Amino acid sequence: MLKPDVSADLVDRVRRGEAEAYAGLVRAYLRPAYAVALSVVGRPADAEDIAQDAFLKAFAAIDTCHAPEHFGAWLFQIVRNRARNFLESRGLREVVTDGRRVLEIVLMPPESAGMREALLSALADLEVEDRQVVLLHDLERWTHAEIAQALAISEVHSRQRLFRARRAMRVKLDGQGSPHKNEGNHEG
Amino acid sequence: MKDERIDFSALDPAQDQIRWARIANALVNQAIAERNRSAVVGEQLLHWGRAVLLVAAGLCIVAWSARLFPGSQPPPTLTQEMQPALRLSSWAANNQMPEPADLFGTLRGY
Repeated sequence: MLKPDVSADLVDRVRRGEAEAYAGLVRAYLRPAYAVALSVVGRPADAEDIAQDAFLKAFAAIDTCHAPEHFGAWLFQIVRNRARNFLESRGLREVVTDGRRVLEIVLMPPESAGMREALLSALADLEVEDRQVVLLHDLERWTHAEIAQALAISEVHSRQRLFRARRAMRVKLDGQGSPHKNEGNHEG
Repeated sequence: MKDERIDFSALDPAQDQIRWARIANALVNQAIAERNRSAVVGEQLLHWGRAVLLVAAGLCIVAWSARLFPGSQPPPTLTQEMQPALRLSSWAANNQMPEPADLFGTLRGY
């Protein structure tokens, strides 16, 4: 996640049309935007599309970003809105299997597809807010301070949600016999 | 202290780095192209607005010329008659778009 002054500078330069500034914001926030979209729609391919659409909308409306130092939080709001609209337009409220998802899985190595299915299934049982926190923390490696700022929640709240999400996911993943831990020495 | 992270690498879209870089580049290019397209449209509208103002100024001058022929009422002064044309010409020369109310007010006499 970018520091507030860096974020504000990039937004200012995007407003002036500097191509490198566009790339800077995309490098910093496309993956987190994907994680937030995934937490709502539950399907990686759709999450990628939504993250990109949200970015284009954000760039088109960059003059209305009133707190450029918090561009990420503003972008995530757009991502969440587009993801919810997507679900409403498709009449989808939960993770379901369809042809597109089957195709994604078929194209992946079998062990990856199995893990991916297990993770998506475990994520689907969480509340959306818990999914956002666990994905931003464990996939994007954001700290609780960064998550708190981006999602407009307290750090304590972020820690609680992460704890709850991990516990629920482990119960589900252990039941499926899937590997789910990184054995390292770091806690963000 | 043991890392308790869930391993989400199977859901990481950037695992295929080439594909992810291609997606990011395409996104940046599309955003810049859309910005450039908007800028061109805005510039075009400004040019059209300027042309419309010039035509309106010409029409004012023609209308003013037609009213040079004396009628039953005392003719207005030259300054009064020229006022709308002068204002329109000024807007066009300065590349300004007047407010609709100003435009209608200026053309009211015609």
